[in-house]
Amino acid sequence: MISTVNTFSGIPEPLARLIHELSKLPGVGPKSAQRLAFHLLRASEESTKLLVLAINDMKLQVGLCSLCFHITEIDPCRLCQDGERDKSILCVVEQPLDVIVLERVGQYKGTYHVLHGVLNPIEGIGPEDLRVKEFLKRVQDGNVDEVIMAINPSLEGEATAMYIQRLLAPYDIRTTRLARGLPSGADLEYTDAITLAHAFEGRKTF
Amino acid sequence: MSRKERTYRIEGIILRRRNIGEADSIFTILSHTHGKIDAIARSIRKPRSKMRGHLETLVQSSLFIARGKSLDILTQAETIDSYQEIRTDLEKSAAALYCFELIDLFTEKEEPLPELYKALKDFLEILKLTSSSLAVRHFELHLLNLLGYQVHVSGCVVCDGRLPEQPALLVPAAGGFVCSDCRLGSGAGRIVSVPIIKLLRFASKATLRDYIGIRVSAENLNLFSAITSELIRYHLEREPKSKYFLDNLPPSS
Repeated sequence: MISTVNTFSGIPEPLARLIHELSKLPGVGPKSAQRLAFHLLRASEESTKLLVLAINDMKLQVGLCSLCFHITEIDPCRLCQDGERDKSILCVVEQPLDVIVLERVGQYKGTYHVLHGVLNPIEGIGPEDLRVKEFLKRVQDGNVDEVIMAINPSLEGEATAMYIQRLLAPYDIRTTRLARGLPSGADLEYTDAITLAHAFEGRKTF
Repeated sequence: MSRKERTYRIEGIILRRRNIGEADSIFTILSHTHGKIDAIARSIRKPRSKMRGHLETLVQSSLFIARGKSLDILTQAETIDSYQEIRTDLEKSAAALYCFELIDLFTEKEEPLPELYKALKDFLEILKLTSSSLAVRHFELHLLNLLGYQVHVSGCVVCDGRLPEQPALLVPAAGGFVCSDCRLGSGAGRIVSVPIIKLLRFASKATLRDYIGIRVSAENLNLFSAITSELIRYHLEREPKSKYFLDNLPPSS
């Protein structure tokens, strides 16, 4: 680490260290890291303190819900604790961000299970790297009538959904998946055959 | 391939997708004319992207690509075949992903391999119809042949003598079977039974369609799989990551 930090010649060591750390963030290259670091250098002490505090609090207070594995500051999370939500329906998603997006819609009133990824054999990501075991335990504990697969319809996502469906086969549980078809604002001319086929399959009475 | 051409059109099968940044993805494509290439599709993950459904792992597409500074840029895509029969079947999807990984690991970028492209297309066509593991074994051996790692199955690799109709020693380092007279100093190997030797021989001359029609016991199929895996492992110097997934799928009900 030291050798990388020292490559910022003429830059004071603490600033070089900050640039080095910032450049580890996704989508932040060395130039952007340098710009961000210089911005923080010029910023007021108050605002940098708030940033440091926010990062610290986030690391200390945000963890994973022991039931659904969504990000939370209390365990179980608010969604799992909510007595109004239907605990017999479980919506399986890839990432915590998916829960946030689905909650923004406000239509779904069941509970979630976050896998934290999808099966990706080529990258060496197998079921043991996801929260599959924990999902199965929730199912085995009973009280689940329906599992909704809200996994992205990529090849890996489809494989994950099929894998989970297989694990659910011994249980008397209804397995459903989110409808697929044309998004709002879509153009038929540029729509692929798979989406069009799904759109026809899932057509509704007008 | 001329570096002067600023744009080019290819037909290709998408082997792999990696998401980067806010909404971009990098695709690894095996093409008919340009071999394996990496190309980036900008804003592909946005709902309004016109190429969105046409660029996905296990899709054969007609692609229009512009040369970029570091990565070529996908500008147009139109699906030729989305292999629905494969993507809706877990065994078939796992087999396709495994073969995609093999191609990715064994090939270099921008090295035209039209025969490999045809072999992959044939394999995927057969995979639509059957999830027979013989199809995967045939593809593995065919891939090795096309890339110059052919297993010598007709005779002893050392003395070129005819192999008698009995179990023989397969030495991956030597590139094939070694007769009992030449065994000393030929390297580490594994004794292979006669039915497996015949399966290896037939794979080198039979078409994929003919090959999947043969009857093989489950035991021999497992032994055969172990042999091809050993050959792959020897040449790659590691196990492909997707092999474990392919071999450990939960049973279908």
